[in-house]
Amino acid sequence: MLLRILRRTGILLASLVASTVLVFAFMAVLPGDPARVALGVNASDEAVGQLRREFGLDRPLAAQYLSWIGGLARFDLGTSYISHAPIGPQIADRLMVTLWLVVTAMVIALVVAVPLGTVMAMRHRRPSGVLLSALSQVGVAVPAFLAGILLITVFAIGLGWLPANGWTPPDQDPVMFVKQLTLPALSLGIVQAAVLTRYVRSAILDVMREDYIRTARAKGLTPTQALRRHGMRNASIPVITVLGLQLATLLIGAVVVERVFVIPGLGSLLLDAVSNRDLIVVQDVVMVLVLAVLVVNFVVDLLYLVIDPRLQVSSR
Amino acid sequence: MKSTRFVAALGAALTAALVAACSAGSSTNPNPSASGGGAAPGSDKLTVGLVAEPVSLDFTTNDGAAIPQALLYNVYETLVKLDQNGDIKPALATSWKVSSDRKTYTFDLTDKAKFTNGQPFTAKDAVFSIDRVKKDWTTSLKSAMDVVADAKAVSDTQLQVTLKQPSNSWLYKMTTRIGAMMAPDGIADLATKPVGTGPYEFGTWNRGDSISLKANPNYWGPKPHFGEVVLKYFKDATALNNALLTGTINVIGTVQAPESLKQFEGNSKYQVIEGTTNGEVVLSFNNVKAPMNNLKVRQAVRYAINHKALMDTCWAGYGTLIGSMVPPTDPWYEDLTGLYPYDLAKAKQLVQETGVANTTLRLRIPTLPYAVSCGQVVKSDLEQAGFKVALDQLEFPAAWLTTVFKNADYDMSIVAHVEPRDLGAVFGNPQYYTRYDNKQVQQDLAKADTGTPQEQITYMKAAAKTLSEDAAADFLFLLPNLIVADKGITGLPKNAISESFDLSQLGRS
Amino acid sequence: MSRIDPGIGAAGEPLPVGGLPRRRAGASLLVGAVLVGLVVAAALVSFVWTPYDPTLVDASSRLQTMSARHLFGTDKFGRDVFSQILVGARTTLFVGIVAVGVAGVIAVPLGIVAAMAPRWFAEPLMRLLDLLLAFPALLLAIMFSAVYGGSTLVAMIAIGIASIPSFVRVVRSGSLQVLSTEYVLAARAAGRRPVAIGWRHVLPNVSSLVIVQASVAFAIAILAEAALSFLGYGTPPPVPSWGRMLQESQEMLFTAPRLAVFPGVAIAVAVLGFNLLGDGLRDRYDPKLEDRR
Repeated sequence: MLLRILRRTGILLASLVASTVLVFAFMAVLPGDPARVALGVNASDEAVGQLRREFGLDRPLAAQYLSWIGGLARFDLGTSYISHAPIGPQIADRLMVTLWLVVTAMVIALVVAVPLGTVMAMRHRRPSGVLLSALSQVGVAVPAFLAGILLITVFAIGLGWLPANGWTPPDQDPVMFVKQLTLPALSLGIVQAAVLTRYVRSAILDVMREDYIRTARAKGLTPTQALRRHGMRNASIPVITVLGLQLATLLIGAVVVERVFVIPGLGSLLLDAVSNRDLIVVQDVVMVLVLAVLVVNFVVDLLYLVIDPRLQVSSR
Repeated sequence: MKSTRFVAALGAALTAALVAACSAGSSTNPNPSASGGGAAPGSDKLTVGLVAEPVSLDFTTNDGAAIPQALLYNVYETLVKLDQNGDIKPALATSWKVSSDRKTYTFDLTDKAKFTNGQPFTAKDAVFSIDRVKKDWTTSLKSAMDVVADAKAVSDTQLQVTLKQPSNSWLYKMTTRIGAMMAPDGIADLATKPVGTGPYEFGTWNRGDSISLKANPNYWGPKPHFGEVVLKYFKDATALNNALLTGTINVIGTVQAPESLKQFEGNSKYQVIEGTTNGEVVLSFNNVKAPMNNLKVRQAVRYAINHKALMDTCWAGYGTLIGSMVPPTDPWYEDLTGLYPYDLAKAKQLVQETGVANTTLRLRIPTLPYAVSCGQVVKSDLEQAGFKVALDQLEFPAAWLTTVFKNADYDMSIVAHVEPRDLGAVFGNPQYYTRYDNKQVQQDLAKADTGTPQEQITYMKAAAKTLSEDAAADFLFLLPNLIVADKGITGLPKNAISESFDLSQLGRS
Repeated sequence: MSRIDPGIGAAGEPLPVGGLPRRRAGASLLVGAVLVGLVVAAALVSFVWTPYDPTLVDASSRLQTMSARHLFGTDKFGRDVFSQILVGARTTLFVGIVAVGVAGVIAVPLGIVAAMAPRWFAEPLMRLLDLLLAFPALLLAIMFSAVYGGSTLVAMIAIGIASIPSFVRVVRSGSLQVLSTEYVLAARAAGRRPVAIGWRHVLPNVSSLVIVQASVAFAIAILAEAALSFLGYGTPPPVPSWGRMLQESQEMLFTAPRLAVFPGVAIAVAVLGFNLLGDGLRDRYDPKLEDRR
C-alpha cells in the first residue's frame, strides 16, 4: 500500500513537470504580442520593443521557461504583463469564487442525483423509473448556459425573487452572497445532477447484479435492504471517480455559467488573459487548472485504497 | 440594491401612491433616508453598468478607453474640459490667453483645488504633469505633447506653455487623458491608486467586477450628489440588461445590444437617452494592396452598401449616417452622405468593369459586437453586387491588432475609431493600417493644425471631402451613445464625445 | 468491479455511461435513431433546398414572427430562421464528425496498441493520456482558437483531441477482453503476427464499443460547440450554427423569444438523439448485458 502511494506521488510529480513544458510550449506559439496589446493601437515599434525587453520576452525561450518554473517552485506566480499586479493573489481570489460556485453546484448535484439515481435503478423496470431516466436524458441534453438563461428569465426577471447576476464575497454581505449564488449554482448543479444521476443509476444496477447481492436477496432481504447493507460501498466507487473529475473539470467548465451570471471566477480570468495576451497569467491559470485535475485524480486514487482494499492487489 | 430602483421609481411619482408604496417597500429598504427626491447629498449611492473593465488604472503606460472612461474628469481633472457640445471649457484653469503668434498659452489656475493626498494643486504640478507625458508615458498618445517646447510655472496659479509651432489640436488634446493633472508624490502606484483633484476619489477595485469611487469631501467645486458611485463591469450585453431589470445597477452606461432597448422604451420605470459619440464605424480598405488600391473597386464597395438598411439591421436603427470621417459635433462637419448613395446597378457595373469578381476579398473583422453584426450585412450587400467576400473573425484585441493593424494583412476590416478628431490619425499617416497616402489630404491636415481656427475649419472640410470622394474607406455610420437609466437619475452625459464618462453632474430628481 | 471510464465533456460533463433498462433498450434505440435521423434529414435537405438563402440579409423583412412565408420567423438581419436551422444541422453534423473523427482515428489504433504492447510501452502511454485528461476540452478549445484563429474546424479538433484519452481507455479495455478469448490465443499459438491479430480479430470485435463511444462523443461535441459559440470561440458568422443562433438571440430574449427557442430545441434534440442512440446501441452490443438476457 505504501509503495502504491509512493508510486502515485511519483507519477503526480512527473505529470506536473511534463505539463509545465506542455503549457509553456503552447504559450510560445500563441500569436499576438502582449506588449502591443498593452500599448494599444498607435504604439511605435520602438515602444513595443522596449516593453518586450521589460517583460523579458526578448530572452531565449529556455531562459523564459526556467525563470517561470523557478518562480512556480517558490510559489511566486509572477507579475501580470498588462496590469502589473502580482498574479498569485489574483488567482487565489478568483479560484475562491469559482470553488464556491462549483462546490455548491456539486453538493446540489449530489443531493439530487444520489436519491434520484437510486430510485431510477431500483425501479428501472417500472414507469416511474423509466420516466425519471428519460427526464435525466433531457437534462443532459440542455446546455448549462441555456439552463442559466431560463432560470434568470423566470426567477430574476419574471418573479423578481433573486438577483439576475453579480457576485458579493460572503464576508462582505452573507445574505447577498447566498442570493447571488443560488441561480448560478442551480443552473450548474441541475445539469451536473442529470449527468451524475445516470452514473449513480448504472453503478447501482451493476452492483445489484453482483452475486453477493443475490445471496443477500436469497436470504430474504428486500432489494433496498440488500443494497443498503452490502451494495452502497461498492456502488460509491465509480460515483466518486466521476465526482472527482466533474469537480476538477468544472473549474474551467463553469466559465460559461460565470459569463451568464457575471461572476468573477477563474474561467473569466483566463478568457480575459487570453484575449489580452497576458501570457504569464494564462500560463499560471492553466497550470492551476491542470494541477487541480491531477491532484483530484491522485486523491480519488487514494480513496479507492480506502474504500476498496481489493484494488491494492489487482493491477488495473 | 433592489431598493434603490424602488426608490428611484418613487422619486418619479411623488403622489399619493408614494405613501402606499413606501410602506410596502420599507422592509426591504436598508437606507430609508435616501427616499425620493430628498436624498441628502453624500449618502446616496449609484451603480453604473459598463462594458470592458480596465486592466490597469494607469493610462500613462496602458492604452484602452476603459481607464480614462472611469477616471478622467472624475478622479483626475484637466486644465480644460470638453462640454456636451464639444466646446472647450475651463476646469482647473479658470481662464487662458493665447498669444498673437498662437504659440504661447497662459493659464490662470484655481487656487482652491487639492489632490486627494492633501497637497494643494499648483502650477508646478501642471508643469510636472505636462513634462511627465513627454518623459515617462509609453502609450502612443504621448505624441500629442511633442509640440510643447516648454512649460513653466510663472506663479503658483499661473502656467505658461510655449509651443514649437501653432497647433489647434494641442489645447483640444489637453481635454483628453494626456491633460490629466497629477501630483509628483501621487504617482507611486498609478496602476492601483490614482491620485487626482477631481470630484471623486478612488475607492476600491474588485478586479473582475467593479470599481468604487467615493465623493471627494475636499473637492474645490460643487460637491457631487452621490456619496459613492460604483462602476460595475459586464462582459455580456444581456447580463448588463438583466442587471438593470433586477435593480442591481441603476444605469447602463453604454448599451452594446441596441436591439434590447425595446424592452426599456415602453417601460415607465426607465429612461432611454440617445446621444452621439465620436465613434465612426469605418469599413476600412487596405489602400495599397490590389484590388483595393483601385479607386473603382473602392467606389463599387461604397455604392453597394445600403447604409440606412445596414444601420437598421446591425445596430437596430440607432446612430447617425455619416459620409466621411467627421461626426456632426465637430465644427467642420459637412453632410457628405450624398457622395455615394446606395446604387446597386452602378456597383454591379463597376464590379464588372474591374473584374474584381474573380478575387475573394478578405473582410477581416475584430470580435466586437458591432463588427460581427455589421460584417454579416456588409458581406451580404457586397455579394449582391457581385463581389466575393470571405468573412474572417479575428480575436480582439490581440489577433486583430497583429494581423490587420500591425501587418495590414487584410483587404477590408470594420472598426469603430472612437478617438475624438481622429481623421488625421487614420488617414493622414501612410504607415497607418489603412495605408492611405494622399498628399493633398496630408497638406490640408498640416495647414489645418497650424492655421487660424477659421482656416482649421476650411482645411479640415477639404480633407474630409477629398478622402470621401477618393473612397479611402466606407463610413458605415456613427455609433450612438445609448444610455438606459432608472427614471429620476439626472445629469447623465448624453453625448460621449470626451474620453470620460463624466459622473460629476449626476443627481437624482 | 469494473471501473467506469470517465470521459470528459465540453462543459466538464463526463460522458454518460450506463445503459437504460433492457426492456427499453429497443425504445431508446428507436427514439435516438429517429431524432438523429431528423437532424441528418434536415442537413441533407439543406443541400438541395432551403426556403430562403440563410445568409441573405434583408432589412425589409427583419424580426418577423412565424408565418406561412417564414415558418420560424426571421432574425434581426431579416434572415429566415427555418432555413438557418436546416443549414445549421449541417454544421452540427460537421462538428460531431470532426471531433469524433479526430478522436477515433487516433484513439482506436492507440487503444489496441496499448492493449497488445508490452507493459514498458503501454504504461507510459496510458500515463501520458492521463496527463492529457488534465487539460479539459473547453480549455483546449479556447487555446486552440487563440492560436489558430477561431473556426469550427479548429475548435472541434481540440474537442476531438480532448476526448482521445477516454476513447483509448474504452478501446483498450475492450481489446484486453478480446485478447483473452480462446480464438485469439489460438491465433497467437498459430504464429499469427500481432498486426494481423489486431486487424483481423481485435478491431472487428471492438467496433461496437467504438460506435457506442462515438455516438456519445458526438453529443458532447455538439454541446461543446454551443458553449464555445456562446463564448465567441465557436462557429464564426455567417455560417449558420445553432450555437451561435442561440447566442445571437440573447439580446432579443424578451422581444423575440422564439429566436432562442428554435436553436435551443434543435440542440437538445440532436444531443438527446445521439445520447439515446449510444445507449440503445450499448444495450444491444454490451456483452455484459448479453450474458444475462
